[in-house]
Amino acid sequence: MSRWLLPVWSTLVFVFLFLPIIVIIVYSFNVGRLLVSWDHFGFDSFAAIVTKPAIRDAVLVSVRTGLLAAVIATVLGTLAGIAMARNPGKWVVWFLGMLLLISVTPEIVDAVALLPWMVFLGQDAGIGIFNDGTVRLIIGQSLFSIAIVSYIVRARLVGLDASLEEASADLYAPPFRTFVKVTLPLAMPAVLAGFLLSFTLGLDNTIVSAFVQVSGTTPWPVYVLSALRSGLRPEIAAVSTIMLVLTLASLALVALVLKRAGDSATDIARTMAGG
Amino acid sequence: MTSEPVRVLAHRGAAGILRSELTRRGFLATALAAGGAVLFTACAPGQAGTAAQANGGPLEDRLSIYTWSDYDEPELLSAFTKKKGPKIVVDAFNSNEELIAKLVAARGTSGYDIVVPSGLFVMPMAENGLLEKLNLDLIPNFATMNPNFIHRSFDPDNAYSICKAWGTTGFVYDKRVINRELTTWADFIDAAQNEASGKTSVLDDPAPLCGIYHWSHGVDWNTTRKKDLDACEKFLVTQLAPHISIFDSAPGGQVIPQASAALVQSYSGDARLGMDESDDPERWHWVLGAPATELWMDNWAIAKGAPHPEAAHAFIDYIIAPDIQVAQVDYIGYDTGVQGTQQKAEEAELDRLDMVYFSDEQVKTMHEQKFTSAQERIVEIWNKVKVAAGA
Amino acid sequence: MPFALALPAWVWLAVFFVVPIGVVVWYSFGYKPSIFSTNSNDRLSFDRYVEALSPTFFNTFQNTFWVGVIGTLLCLIIGAPVAYWIAVKAAPSKRGMLLALVMVPFWTNFLVRTIGWQVILAPEGWLSGALQFIGVIPGPLDILNSRGAVLLGVVYNYLPLMILPLYVAFDRVSGPLREASKDLGANSLVTFLRVTVPIAQPGIIAGVLLVYIPLMGDYITATVLGGAKGNMVGQMVASQFQTAQNWALGSAMAVLLIITIAVSIGVAALLLWLVTMPLRRRYALRLGEGS
Repeated sequence: MSRWLLPVWSTLVFVFLFLPIIVIIVYSFNVGRLLVSWDHFGFDSFAAIVTKPAIRDAVLVSVRTGLLAAVIATVLGTLAGIAMARNPGKWVVWFLGMLLLISVTPEIVDAVALLPWMVFLGQDAGIGIFNDGTVRLIIGQSLFSIAIVSYIVRARLVGLDASLEEASADLYAPPFRTFVKVTLPLAMPAVLAGFLLSFTLGLDNTIVSAFVQVSGTTPWPVYVLSALRSGLRPEIAAVSTIMLVLTLASLALVALVLKRAGDSATDIARTMAGG
Repeated sequence: MTSEPVRVLAHRGAAGILRSELTRRGFLATALAAGGAVLFTACAPGQAGTAAQANGGPLEDRLSIYTWSDYDEPELLSAFTKKKGPKIVVDAFNSNEELIAKLVAARGTSGYDIVVPSGLFVMPMAENGLLEKLNLDLIPNFATMNPNFIHRSFDPDNAYSICKAWGTTGFVYDKRVINRELTTWADFIDAAQNEASGKTSVLDDPAPLCGIYHWSHGVDWNTTRKKDLDACEKFLVTQLAPHISIFDSAPGGQVIPQASAALVQSYSGDARLGMDESDDPERWHWVLGAPATELWMDNWAIAKGAPHPEAAHAFIDYIIAPDIQVAQVDYIGYDTGVQGTQQKAEEAELDRLDMVYFSDEQVKTMHEQKFTSAQERIVEIWNKVKVAAGA
Repeated sequence: MPFALALPAWVWLAVFFVVPIGVVVWYSFGYKPSIFSTNSNDRLSFDRYVEALSPTFFNTFQNTFWVGVIGTLLCLIIGAPVAYWIAVKAAPSKRGMLLALVMVPFWTNFLVRTIGWQVILAPEGWLSGALQFIGVIPGPLDILNSRGAVLLGVVYNYLPLMILPLYVAFDRVSGPLREASKDLGANSLVTFLRVTVPIAQPGIIAGVLLVYIPLMGDYITATVLGGAKGNMVGQMVASQFQTAQNWALGSAMAVLLIITIAVSIGVAALLLWLVTMPLRRRYALRLGEGS
C-alpha cells in the first residue's frame, strides 16, 4: 500500500501545481468582457497583443528591459563570479554577504527603497538619466539577477580546477587572452544559463517595477497589476499564455545548454533553484 | 594581487614584460568599465523636469492620463487618437491621497500628463507645486460648460482645473442575500454586521469611509473635533472593520459583476456601470446614501512636469466637447457638466438616469468635502480600519 | 588585480542596493512634517518604531508571522514527499521531466498564477458550482478574500521553491547508503529518519529558508487573494508609501520586517540546535571505541 502512496501524493501535488496555469490557458480562449465569467470560445483575445496598443507596448517594454537587464546582469555577474572563483580572498566573504542580503531582502523593501533614491538621483542630483523609465526598470530588474548569475558562474568555476588556465599562462598567453580563450568558454554554460534565467526573472519582475516605473514605460506585470483593480479581461490571460510560452522556451534553452555541458538533472535543478 | 601566483615558464627577459602586461590589462579593463559608466551617465537623454507651458504648438505623439478607474468611454479615447494622433495610456488610482502620494514621491518624474483630482484637493495640490496652470486659450470648448460647474469656490478662475464629472456616493446590495429593504447608512452598517458580514465591500478612499460613520450619526463630515474623529475611529475599527472583506474604489469593474460581495459601497456612476455589466442586474438595488452623503466633483488637471502639455490641452478640449457627452455619460454614469447634456441623455433614453441626474431635494442632502486639518487623521483612521479588517 | 573584475558589480550593487536600503533605515528615524511632504529627518527619534509596533499594526506583524510559519510548514509537509519520490523512487530517466514539471509553475509569472487561483476560487465560478453540486459546501465558495485563501496562495506559489532544494538534498543520499542501512536491519522509516534526513539536512534548511523569507515579505498573494483580510506587512509598507505618504513610518515597518525575519530565523536555528542536541549526543559515532 505504501508503494503507491508516494506516487499518488506526488501526482496530486502536480495537479495542484498546474491547476491555475491550466485555468489561465483555458480562459485565454474566453471571449467576453470579464476574465472570470466564461462567455464563449474564441481566439479573439489573443489578437489583443497586436490590436491593443497598451498591451502591445507593455509586452514590448517587458521584453526590451528584460533583455537589457539580463545583459547587464550577465556581464557584471560573470565578471564577479569569475573573480570569486579564481581569486578568493577576504573580500569574497563580504561580496557573498551582499549577494545573500539581496537574495533575502523582500522585494517590497527593495521597491520602497529604490524609488526615492532614483527620484533623488534624477531630480536633486540632476542626473537626468534616472528619470528615464527604461533605465529605472533595468536597474530594478538587474539587482537580483546579478546575484543569481554570480552564484551560478562561481559555482561552475569553483568545480573546475584552475589547471587549464595555468597551462594557458605557461604557454605565454596574456591574462586577457586566457580569460577570453579559456576561462570564458569554461564558464559559458553557466553564463548562458545565467543570462536566460535573468531574462525570465526580468519578465516576471512586478513589485520593484510597479514602484519605479514611469508612465509610458509600463512593463507587462505592472499592467496586469493595474488591470486587477479595474476588472480583468480575457486578453490578460491570452497574453499571459503567450508570455508563458516565451518563458518556457527560454528555460528549455537553459536546460539544453546545461545538458550539453554535461550537467545532470540534479545540477540543473540546483542551478534553476538559484543556487 | 592574486593569492595563488601564476606560474610562468618564460625567458628571463620576458618575465618583466609579462608582469607589466598583467597589471596593464587589469588596469585597462577597469578603466574601460569605469569610463563606460561615466559615459553612460553623461549621455543622459534629459527627460522630464522642464515645466513646458503649452502654447498651441504641434501635438506630441503620446498622452498619459492618471485617473479614477473606468472613468472614460474607451471608444472616445481611441477616437481621439484617430483624430488627433497622440496615443493614450491610462493608469488608475483608488483615492486622491494615492494620486497625491504618487505625484509627491515622483516630484515631476511620474510621466503623467493629465490627472483627475477631486475639487477640494486642487488648490492644495497647486500650492504644493503638483499642478501646471491651464492655458484656457487652447480649450475653446470651455465656453460650453454649464455655468453651475465652473468657477467653483475651490478654483474660482479655473486656473488649474476644469470640471470632469460630479457625482455622489451610496451603496448597492444583493437582493438574493439581503431580503429586507435598506435605505440609510445605518441600514448599511446593520446589514454589514448581519447578513452581509464578511461579504461587505467599502470604498478604498479615506474620506467616504469615515463618512459612513459621520453620515449615519448626524455628524458633519468635515468636522475637525478630536472627539468626533476619535469616536469615528473607534466605531469603524470595532464595529465595521471586522465585517469588511474588500476595499475597492471601483467595484463596478469586478466586485459587482462578479458578486464577490453582497453589500457594496460605491460611487453612483460606478454602481450603475457594475449593475449594467452584471449577468442579472435585477439582483442589485441601488441606495443613495441617506440621510446625508457627499457631493464630489472630479476635475481635469495637468500635472507639473507633464511631458506632453500640448496633447494634454488638446485632449481636455476634445473630451468636454458637447457632441460626445451623451456617449461619455452613458458609459461613466455621471453628469459631466456640459450644457444641454441632460436633455440629450433623456431623449436618448439612457438607462438608470436616476443614478446620474439627481433632484434638488436629493442634492440638498449631498455635502462637499472640505480640505481641513483633519486630513491626516482621516488617512490614519483609514489605515487603521484596513489593518483591523485584516485581523 | 583580478578583484577588479568584481568591481563593476560591487559598484552597481552598492549604488543601487546598499545605499537605498541605507536610506530607508535613515528615513525610519524621521517623521512626517505635513500633509504634502513625505518625510523629514530634522528630528531623529525611534517614534516611528513605537508607532509601527502599536497594537493595530502589531496585529499585522502577528498575522504575517502566522501565515509565514504555517505556510512554510505546509510547504515542507506537502513538498517533501514529492521531492523524496523524485529523488529516490522515480525512474532516473524520468527525473529530468519530473523536475521540469515542478519548475514550469515556478517560472510562470507570479502575479498571473495567483490570478489563476482567483478565477478558480470565484464564488460564482465552476469549482464553487461543482462543490455545491456534490454537496461538499452549502452555499457559494466563500474562501476568497480570507486568510485561508492567502495561505492557499502562498503555499501554492512557494511550493516549487521547497521541492527543488529538497530534491537536491535527497539526491545526495546515495542509494547504496540506504541499502546498507536496510541490510543492517532498519526499516524504511528508520532509514529515512536516521540516514536520509541528517544527510539532507542542509538542503531541508535551504528549502525552509528559501520559502520562509520571501513569504514573510509577500505582497502580491495577499493583495490578489486576501482582499481586506489578507493584510500582511508587505502591503502595509506599500500602503504607507503609496497612499499614506508616510515614508518614515513605512521605512520603520520595512526595517522591522527585516528584523522580524532575521530574529525568527535565529530563534528557530537555536531551537533546532537545542532540540537535536540530545539526539546528536545519542547517535554520535564514537570511533575507536568498538561498537
